[in-house]
Amino acid sequence: MLEYFPENVSSIGIEHDHLFAIIYYLCVGIFFLVNITLVYFLIKYRRRRGVKAYYFHGNNLVEFTWTLLPTLLFAGLGFYSDDLWTRMKYQDAVPVADVEVEVLGQQYLWHYRYPGPDGVFGRTIPSLRSSENVFAIDPEDPAGKDDLTMSNVFYLPINKTIVVHLSSVDVLHSFFLPNFRIKQDAVPGLKIDVWFDCFKAGDYELACAELCGSGHYSMRGELRMLSEDAYNEWLQGKYDAILASIEQPAEAASADDMMDAGDEMSDGTEIVEEPTQAEQGH
Amino acid sequence: MVRVPAHGSQAGKGEHREKFYKLILLRNMATEVLTQAHHGAHDDHGHDHDHAHHESFIRKYIFSTDHKTIAKQFLLSALIFLFVGGGMALILRWQLAYPGQPLPLIGHLLSDSFVTDGVVQPGFFMQMTTMHASVMIFFVIIPLAVGFFGNLCIPLQIGTDDMAFPMVNMFSFWLVPPAAMCVMSGFFMDGGAAAAGWTHYPPLSVTSGAGHTMWTVGVFFAGFSSILGGLNYIVTVLNKRAPGMGMFDMPLTVWALFITAVLISLGTPVLASDLAVLFFDQFFHSSFFIPEGMLYADNVHTGGGQPILFQHLFWFYSHPAVYIMLLPLMGVVSDVMSTFSRRPIYGYKAMVFAMGAIGGLGFIVWGHHMFQSGMNPLLGTTFMLSTIVIAVPSAIKTFNWLGTLWRGSIRFSVPMLQALGFLTTFVVGGLSGIFMAAAPADVFIHDTYFIVAHIHYVLFGGSLFGIFAGIYYWFPKLFGRHMNEAWGQIHFFASFILFNLTFFPMHLLGIGGHMRRISDPTVYEFLAPFQDMNEFITLAAIGLGFAQLILVFNIIFSLKFGKKATRNPWRANSLEWACPSPPVGHGNFDRQIHVYRGPYEFSSPLTKKDYLPQWKKLEEKPAETPVTAQKTEAGESTKA
Repeated sequence: MLEYFPENVSSIGIEHDHLFAIIYYLCVGIFFLVNITLVYFLIKYRRRRGVKAYYFHGNNLVEFTWTLLPTLLFAGLGFYSDDLWTRMKYQDAVPVADVEVEVLGQQYLWHYRYPGPDGVFGRTIPSLRSSENVFAIDPEDPAGKDDLTMSNVFYLPINKTIVVHLSSVDVLHSFFLPNFRIKQDAVPGLKIDVWFDCFKAGDYELACAELCGSGHYSMRGELRMLSEDAYNEWLQGKYDAILASIEQPAEAASADDMMDAGDEMSDGTEIVEEPTQAEQGH
Repeated sequence: MVRVPAHGSQAGKGEHREKFYKLILLRNMATEVLTQAHHGAHDDHGHDHDHAHHESFIRKYIFSTDHKTIAKQFLLSALIFLFVGGGMALILRWQLAYPGQPLPLIGHLLSDSFVTDGVVQPGFFMQMTTMHASVMIFFVIIPLAVGFFGNLCIPLQIGTDDMAFPMVNMFSFWLVPPAAMCVMSGFFMDGGAAAAGWTHYPPLSVTSGAGHTMWTVGVFFAGFSSILGGLNYIVTVLNKRAPGMGMFDMPLTVWALFITAVLISLGTPVLASDLAVLFFDQFFHSSFFIPEGMLYADNVHTGGGQPILFQHLFWFYSHPAVYIMLLPLMGVVSDVMSTFSRRPIYGYKAMVFAMGAIGGLGFIVWGHHMFQSGMNPLLGTTFMLSTIVIAVPSAIKTFNWLGTLWRGSIRFSVPMLQALGFLTTFVVGGLSGIFMAAAPADVFIHDTYFIVAHIHYVLFGGSLFGIFAGIYYWFPKLFGRHMNEAWGQIHFFASFILFNLTFFPMHLLGIGGHMRRISDPTVYEFLAPFQDMNEFITLAAIGLGFAQLILVFNIIFSLKFGKKATRNPWRANSLEWACPSPPVGHGNFDRQIHVYRGPYEFSSPLTKKDYLPQWKKLEEKPAETPVTAQKTEAGESTKA
């Protein structure tokens, strides 16, 4: 049964699959225990002439035993699982990001926003949201002018800690990366941090897993995981285009930015805390 | 009249109890007089049952206050809706197996707003998923588990003439048709029926068509029907038990229904308030659940609502609702297993306490539906632990059922087969629930077919097999005729095999990541390997659907041609078997009932027979040596 899982490519996925396997073998064991007992009883104690059933109302010690054993077993499982849960989902346990991207669900496509060459996400004001400006970026904020936005397909580097700031434009969606064992609902009006990493380059599918309307089935995104070099090259190309479109007068400065795109990334990580705190204020 | 027996009975507990029963009897007589006065037209006070009542057809068969008639009404309406809901399931199964291919038979009959050239449109698919679940939950399982079994079993098994509030009881049934009409009316509206899932999460349910508003209204009515039923059951069980019957002399079905009624009366009002608030958002465009900055139809909302609030309130009811749909059947299955194993139920009190624990814990686990919803993950830890603990009472019940079979003398009659079907599928459903209870493992399988498999193992495999067990078991009592045994067996084996073929592969789909509620899985590359499995499931589901026709034909033919049933055809112990089959018109019982012992005294050494009914007063020398027999029983009961 476990071999039906799609290929796993993330470190948290390894732990997920491990926990899932533990529960699986536990449940299979209980299943056979109960059903073999059942079938044995059904055959052995079927109606036979002259045999009267045993008149007995039960035994408190037995009841106590089979209350205590499952309690210990299940409570143990609960405490064991909790460790992984805290690391997967707790918002204060989200690790420091190497790469940040904001993801928005909208009926029926995905939007992505990278901080742009300056490494800072532009400020957002919810009431400014419109179909032209789904991210509700404040046009007054200079940090927002160079933000890189795109839809449906997005790119991320492998072997890096990636933090997704997840939200929604309209109704509920769910950010589901089967190969990463990642799922988190995207809730309008709420920003939720999702983190993951990846150890294998390739193209992976992003699915919406929360009913979001009649086109729910078609809300498919793609995540291209690139090697670090390939990712930087791709990002540089994008930055190039953005800076050209902004048409900054100091062209020399933008040329510098382009050359040091890789360094810009590491600069970006230092500024990471700002948006995270803003989200906690939400 | 009421006399404490000299020996050999659990009921003889002293003078004050006797007085108490006398009081109850007096009160019952007074009620009877009042009821008669209420019915007015009758002149003959002496023998009120034998003569035909001069009731109009409408008062007797339609707006009846008789609990048996109401039970039949619940059964009939639920069976109709079972096929409506099942048909919807087959439509969506067809689309999943053969996306883009026209629906056979009915494809070209449906309106163009639902299908194009016979091919199911994505919007119609969503309506089908939503309505399939809504119909099955609100108009099949809850009416059957609570309405049908509650009305059928409670008055008969506690030995009384009717519910405490017969008019309220009638009203409880007659809220179902308007509820169903509201929910279904969406099909005739612009935008179609509700398509936001049976969970009806806002903002989607608020931003979609009028069918969603009508759904809200309809489910509100259905909730009221439940509340009225629940209150009635609580009062009836507490006040109208036959003289001599303590709370721990009640059959487990009554206990289960009683606990269910408590769950209903605590949980359903919360759902009602949730739906009322949702209705405000839908109809008056308030923004309880609509957040600031939400974009809808190119307008940005400025309200400050919170979508997750709806989910909390919804699951505060809807998680206990799972137990509302399951507990009564746990009771039914306990009764059936005890009867057909000819053994006392193993650990009667443990069974009662386990059901109480399920009911209590059921109110603090709702968050496990919301692990991925965006609620604070800290709550996830809490809900994971409480959810995992709720597996314990279910395990206790399973072990006790096995204990009941142990050293029994098992007869494989149809009700017993169905009850065993319940047990095995319930075990699978319970175990698959552990995956979801462990929050990190839930991340991947959440909102996939693993969940669909789980809920069908619990609600189809569990509840519906339990319902079948109950129908086959009490059919002779309710209608005075037996159902056909051979066709019953065919129905069971066909259902059981096809059920597993339909729903077990869904676990595999879920592990493969197949999302639920997607109308075309071929969109995703990672789901491509599962298309064959989808086809297989659909074929099995079609078979499963048609297998249920056997039940319907069996019921129809047995009503007319079934073998006449005796008073106590299964040689069981509880009070419903003391009255004629079918029970006499008003009052059910044709004799004064007094309860002397618990409901599960099978194979008792006090008698040569292998059963000892609750109402049977043991005379001197029941067995060869009453002294030793009495000792045995005393010994056993101290042990127990």
